[in-house]
Amino acid sequence: MTADLKDDDFLAAEYVLGVLPLADRITVETRLKTDPGFAALVSTWQSSLTALNDQTAPVAPPADMLSRIEARLFPVAARKPWRATLWAGSGAALAAILVAVFFLTAAPLPIYTATLAANDSAVSYLVQVTTDGIALTLSGPAPDTTHSHELWLIAGDAAPVSLGLIGAQTLPLPKGLEPGMILAVSLEPAGGSTTGAPTGPVLALGALEKI
Amino acid sequence: MDDPLGPLLIRIGAQDRAAFRDLYANSASKLFGVLIRMLGQRAEAEDALQEVFTRVWLRAAKFDPDRGSGIGWLVTMARNHAIDRLRARPPRSDGDDALPDLPDTALRADQRLIAMGEARRIQDCFATLDPERSAAVKGAYLDGLSYDDLALRFNVPLNTMRTWLRRGLIALRECMEK
Repeated sequence: MTADLKDDDFLAAEYVLGVLPLADRITVETRLKTDPGFAALVSTWQSSLTALNDQTAPVAPPADMLSRIEARLFPVAARKPWRATLWAGSGAALAAILVAVFFLTAAPLPIYTATLAANDSAVSYLVQVTTDGIALTLSGPAPDTTHSHELWLIAGDAAPVSLGLIGAQTLPLPKGLEPGMILAVSLEPAGGSTTGAPTGPVLALGALEKI
Repeated sequence: MDDPLGPLLIRIGAQDRAAFRDLYANSASKLFGVLIRMLGQRAEAEDALQEVFTRVWLRAAKFDPDRGSGIGWLVTMARNHAIDRLRARPPRSDGDDALPDLPDTALRADQRLIAMGEARRIQDCFATLDPERSAAVKGAYLDGLSYDDLALRFNVPLNTMRTWLRRGLIALRECMEK
């Protein structure tokens, strides 16, 4: 054997191949964000191996898949009928309603994104913060019926502030979000923490990033 | 290299929904094939495909055409998501049924239309590897097998499997750099 792989280079390859356990993957992904040299090793393996994908045959997804994805990304449920709303007022009231209609009908503008994860946790969330609120997509097991996942905002050294229970609904957009603030998900009894502070283990956390 | 998806990703990064539809039309079946092959279950692959395209919409602005092709970026995103799902699954009990039956989405050799250039080269390089090492590297990359899965499938201790992958990757890199 004339050559060897440095440990970091092998770790990068193991990450790209996908053989690492979840905890190690998350450690590697955290490092990728702060270590450009290591990120370059990962990109090199990705581009070396990417041609292998030609060995996997395409499979047509269900015909309604695109509309399902669009319904999730661009929800229109909040849209109100124009005429019913316009009919109601005039003058200043009409102007106010027009503004309201604008916000109801305009597509939500994305503001921030975040990926919440933690070592030794099977739960991760993809967070999409838009002008409509906070939408969370779970990867991993959902809580059982006796527990809830609760979302918290941690701004600097301040105590965590609850943003609500994570469910099917988009959570309301709190004031004062800034990039770098931390979102965390804790495991709570069904219905949420009753103390105003997280009581269960933190399952996942991550920082808000500007889109 | 011709990369029709790269310009679409750049437009999607600027919130262009029409570009998103075009991109979907030109990449969804490729990504769905990758996800089904890795996850082994159609229903889960459908969930995963939705998540992948959600992330594509959110993260397209981070696509950098200088660092790779559009399809490479998309497949990497799909593979990463599939691997996260696989690794988040509870550990399986050992036994005869420990490995799921992977659907046969691999192209048969006689159906394979390998593109010129890199794809041809990587095939040639894999052919120079020890067959078991080659199969182990491909099993990890294409089928999403973990170290435990690989050790079980090839009936070797985990440390031996690490050595196989390491040696296999070294040989692969040496061949690709020639």
